[in-house]
Amino acid sequence: MKKKLNLSRRYFLRGSGLAVALPAYASLGHTSLAADETVAPKLAETETGAPLRMAFMSIPNGVQQDNWFPEDGFQLNNTMKPLEKLRDHLQVIGGLDHINATPGPDGAGDHARAGATFLTGMRARKTAGSDIQCGISVDQVAAQQVGKATRLPSLELTSDLIRNSGSCDSGYACAYQYNLSWSSATTPVTPEANPRLVFERLFGSGTPTERKQNFEARQESKKSVLDFVLEQSRDVQRQLAASDRRKFDEYYAVVRDLEQRVENAERFRDPPETEQDTPAGIPKDFGDYMTLMYDMLLLAFKTDSTRIATLLLAYDGSNRTFPHLGIREGHHWLTHSQREQELAEKVARIDQYYIEHLAAFLQKMQETEDVDGNSLLHNSMLVYGGAIADGNRHTHENLPVILAGHAGGAISTGRFYQAEKQPMSNLFVSMLELMGVSVNQFGDSNGKLSLA
Amino acid sequence: MYSSPSGRCTNRFWFTDHSNCTSSKSSRRFFCLLFVAAISLQGSKIGAKDGAVTDAEIYESKIKPILVQHCYDCHGYGSAEGNFVLDEFDSTEDAISQPELWWRVVKNLRAGVMPPTEASELSDEELETIYEWVKAGPFKIDPENLDPGPVTVRRLNRAEYGNTIRELMGIDFDEKLLFPPDDSGHGFDNVADAMMVSPLLLEKYLQAAELVVERAVPKVTWIVPRQDFNGDDFKSVDSEDARLNGRRLDGKKAAEVQREVSIEETGRYLVNIDIKQHGSFEFDPARYQVTCTIDGEPRFSVELGWDENKRTSFEYDENWEAGKHKIYFQLEPVIPLSETGEPMIEENEGTSVSFEIDKVSIEGPLGTERRVHPENYERFFTREAPPAEPAEQRKYAEECLQRFATHAFRRRVEMKTVAQLADIAEASYSRPDMTFEAGIGRAMVAALVSPKFLFRIEATADGVADRGYAPVDEISLASRLSYFLWSSMPDEELWKLAEAGKLREQLPQQVDRMLADDKAKAFVSNFVGQWLRTRDVLDTAVDPAVVLGYSEELEELREWVSERFRRGRGRGRGEMTDEETAKFARYREIRSTLERIDDDLKRAMRRETEMLVEHIVNSDANLLDVVDCDYTFLNEKLAEHYGIEGVKGRDMRLVKLPADSPRGGVLTHASILLVTSNPTRTSPVKRGLFVLENVLGTPAPPAPGVVPELEESANRFKDREPTLRELLEVHRESDLCASCHARMDPIGFALENFDALGMWRERDGEAVIEPQGQLVTGETFEDIKGLKRLLREQHAEDFYRCITEKMLIFAIGRGIEYSDEHTVDQIVGQLKESGGKFRPLVHAIVTSAPFQKQRIPSVPETMVSKQ
Repeated sequence: MKKKLNLSRRYFLRGSGLAVALPAYASLGHTSLAADETVAPKLAETETGAPLRMAFMSIPNGVQQDNWFPEDGFQLNNTMKPLEKLRDHLQVIGGLDHINATPGPDGAGDHARAGATFLTGMRARKTAGSDIQCGISVDQVAAQQVGKATRLPSLELTSDLIRNSGSCDSGYACAYQYNLSWSSATTPVTPEANPRLVFERLFGSGTPTERKQNFEARQESKKSVLDFVLEQSRDVQRQLAASDRRKFDEYYAVVRDLEQRVENAERFRDPPETEQDTPAGIPKDFGDYMTLMYDMLLLAFKTDSTRIATLLLAYDGSNRTFPHLGIREGHHWLTHSQREQELAEKVARIDQYYIEHLAAFLQKMQETEDVDGNSLLHNSMLVYGGAIADGNRHTHENLPVILAGHAGGAISTGRFYQAEKQPMSNLFVSMLELMGVSVNQFGDSNGKLSLA
Repeated sequence: MYSSPSGRCTNRFWFTDHSNCTSSKSSRRFFCLLFVAAISLQGSKIGAKDGAVTDAEIYESKIKPILVQHCYDCHGYGSAEGNFVLDEFDSTEDAISQPELWWRVVKNLRAGVMPPTEASELSDEELETIYEWVKAGPFKIDPENLDPGPVTVRRLNRAEYGNTIRELMGIDFDEKLLFPPDDSGHGFDNVADAMMVSPLLLEKYLQAAELVVERAVPKVTWIVPRQDFNGDDFKSVDSEDARLNGRRLDGKKAAEVQREVSIEETGRYLVNIDIKQHGSFEFDPARYQVTCTIDGEPRFSVELGWDENKRTSFEYDENWEAGKHKIYFQLEPVIPLSETGEPMIEENEGTSVSFEIDKVSIEGPLGTERRVHPENYERFFTREAPPAEPAEQRKYAEECLQRFATHAFRRRVEMKTVAQLADIAEASYSRPDMTFEAGIGRAMVAALVSPKFLFRIEATADGVADRGYAPVDEISLASRLSYFLWSSMPDEELWKLAEAGKLREQLPQQVDRMLADDKAKAFVSNFVGQWLRTRDVLDTAVDPAVVLGYSEELEELREWVSERFRRGRGRGRGEMTDEETAKFARYREIRSTLERIDDDLKRAMRRETEMLVEHIVNSDANLLDVVDCDYTFLNEKLAEHYGIEGVKGRDMRLVKLPADSPRGGVLTHASILLVTSNPTRTSPVKRGLFVLENVLGTPAPPAPGVVPELEESANRFKDREPTLRELLEVHRESDLCASCHARMDPIGFALENFDALGMWRERDGEAVIEPQGQLVTGETFEDIKGLKRLLREQHAEDFYRCITEKMLIFAIGRGIEYSDEHTVDQIVGQLKESGGKFRPLVHAIVTSAPFQKQRIPSVPETMVSKQ
């Protein structure tokens, strides 16, 4: 075991051309350990053996159609102007559809449905809450396969706290709208909205010294608590009628999951360190809020705390206003008022505002050096988009999709990739494959999208 | 020319002359027959299966002819209006085996939205026949043994968790800082099926349990005597402001608070002062200075700002004479200065920065032998001190933990569980550096993450099963009651009654007691907060500058002001020209008009709606007052907003409305008008939908498969901007849109006299408001007053049914199923009989089958999963 680990490190050092200053990255060792156990193909690694990351960012309400897609020769259109400097590191993809977000037999509720379909490729069951069902999301498929390689299998974030009471979109349970990730067809994964709590999950709370001193005791205590909870859960499961148990089984699975994570945590006993201060909380300004959540994502990737993440920038149907851009109307309302040129321009401006924050994040990813000397962006696959194309008409074909990063060199960039019309799920199948997770089919996929 | 089937139905309906139909077409009538149906069902009809007439025979002989006559035009003979067909069953049995389909039929008939034309209207008898058959046949409802419906085990939601922790542990705890909001289903966030458990949530439960135990459970047996004070104990120096205290001081307002403490013995005392900085979820840059003195001597002075619950501690060693000593705090906002050194004009954005005197403890006299138990000791520990001998210690650990777990799990615990908890405690307190109490604390952490704490695990009463359903045991019933009315765990009285098996006997008295308790406020904030959406008022961002039409002028003035003050470094305001003075005055005038729309006003809006419901609960007024009444609840600020004179001061109170006032009833409450608006304008569609969903309970119409493009038809208004009404009329010209919008829009238009802030208006821009309209059930009205009267007089039953269903969902934590139809009929009947009173409604709900009973676990899966 030891030998293999060393081999792997040497291999890595050779590959990266580094002679000294072995970076204190836990991940390489752990990845190798994982490989020892399973003798699996490379999971979430690039060619050089560096971590390969994937993330999905979602924007609400489609995009203003006249200003989104690039013109011939990859001339970026208005909305994407902020990405100009980064154009070599990304591609805009056209031709991808989410047919399962269309009304079909289910009627109104395109926003809730789109939110649920975006990363699952599946049709959300129309229910106000009794029996929600959609499908596992692409990030969670990856997390369940490669999540063990890192301290956190995946990270689910949001920068949208606005929630309405009562009913959500046209008879759909709110869960469809407020969650991007689904760990099973019936279990959406709650995203974390508070940057401080994200930070503490990544780096722990208290001073680094305190964290190290307490590790043993806390680990022991956590284990005994979880043992007790598991025991109790078995009791309860026995007591409950079969019909009553569905919800509880979810809980049981989560306890098991956490127990495994606590065990897993022993391999990561030294939490990563960072110079950055714990963020105080949620910034008042929405732009600052997005930036801070993107920063958390960057930190998580930089420290290899996870390789898989989702970030719900604003839930689909969001009616947020942008007064500092001179936009006092709600975003959702505006998308349905695009008849008027002036209002359509406001929609495009909002789209661009979201892109500005993406650009800032990608720029930081580009400026951060990864263990193999490449940039973090080089070693990533970052999907940005949504499952509505035209927010006015609620179309779900030719969706807005940006794929940033080179996946360690495995994919081509710097292009407007006008793919043949096909399910967006095909892109997910290809991405999973690059992560080392082989699936024949995902969501409504009917093949793969060639990314090379 | 023959138009499409859809055209035939909806257009005929839409363009029919409705001049005679000012009275409700069917809902009132249907209500009466509902009782007839209920009564006859209880009679011999159930016996149909024994011999007389079968459901299939009734279908062929009675039901089908009615359908042929009234429904097949659009839902048969090859027509499939709304994708709904009634004549394509494989067999009669096939028809009977589709309860969901018949449920849609019943809901649409009951709401009076089907059939859509006067001509094809069903007679009372026909309606009764259908309803009776549907309940007995497709729904398989047995009125003698009502199905309590499916149950999913319920997790405590965020509010319930917080309340339960506070009740159980005796500490303050803000669950909102740690937990994300729960997802809601069927309109409520306590619906079991919609509430998710994720790894993130479990981690948070662990974290919260650690935090709570750390703060609540003593770690030692004895301490030096101490007096503890919290923020409430520090009162304002200015006796005028009695409400101000050290619990929460606004970081943007100057304040002084103080407390005198009495010391019996002269000696050395340790004074510990913990202060906290708060901020609501969003960051605010405001800062403030806090100065503390003891007996007039300065102790500390610090500048503080926004933070989430951040605590800072100070410690002072004081030599005190016996007698009184004064601890004093002063808060001064720090006014930020501009680059030119002038105080910055602050935008009024409400306060999200505050200061709290968390704890002041006085320990002493030091250096003596006097010792006492720490605070809260008796809550968790039953003996004076833990025994020294290990076996005795173990026994005592079990004693404490059994008591705690029984409370926490809200049910008797097995000794096995107690032993497991004691194992955790023992493993911990056996370590050299740990006390007995700290060890017990470790076990309590485990108990607080146990599913038996986090979930409501119920059991049925022994030995009283009846054909598949059994009453839940009284302990479960106690929890159902307390989480329904208090969103918290049962108190001692409920617990004792349940333990003694006397809770069911005393149910009415207990419900009354619980409603009178202060904890019933949780019912208003959780049930009303979601049903009438008062929870959302403070977070709804409607832009007053745009709504009141000042945005452009204000923008110009704002630019001018900043320009003027930047340039005018050397020139003060005194040097302004007359024109400038006027301009500046105008700027301030607009600013102050807009600043009126602040969080205080929004809080008053929320309270108005809450207080109306509280009033109905406490005064036994008719619940229909929710829809229409001649009074409301106002303070000066809200009365001014409404243009109502003669209300002074900050306190909200009952105000009798002038006869010509359009206000009264929640439809005219600013709270609801606000939350159903877009940020810059009203939304008749959202408002109409709100009334359909929350007042009338009108079922959702068939949804369009494709949302058609409006642009082409809207092009006719080439030269001008169409009004909202015109646009929506274009919308309704399409049959597809009409089916839905005909239900929502007329109600929304009647409310157009209220702008997005809930203020009265006669015009929307240039366009004069035209509030008159016609409901989908046929009645016409002139304006909002007419609409309210119509709803109250003609649609009382719809409203009763709507509120019954909403409250039942909230009470049992699941959506309404068709198997609940008869249950709902019964509750609505009791409500009607009582004259629409709140308490009888609650009583009817807590005595209903779904609240009282459970499907028996041993029922074979096939029977259980018939829904």
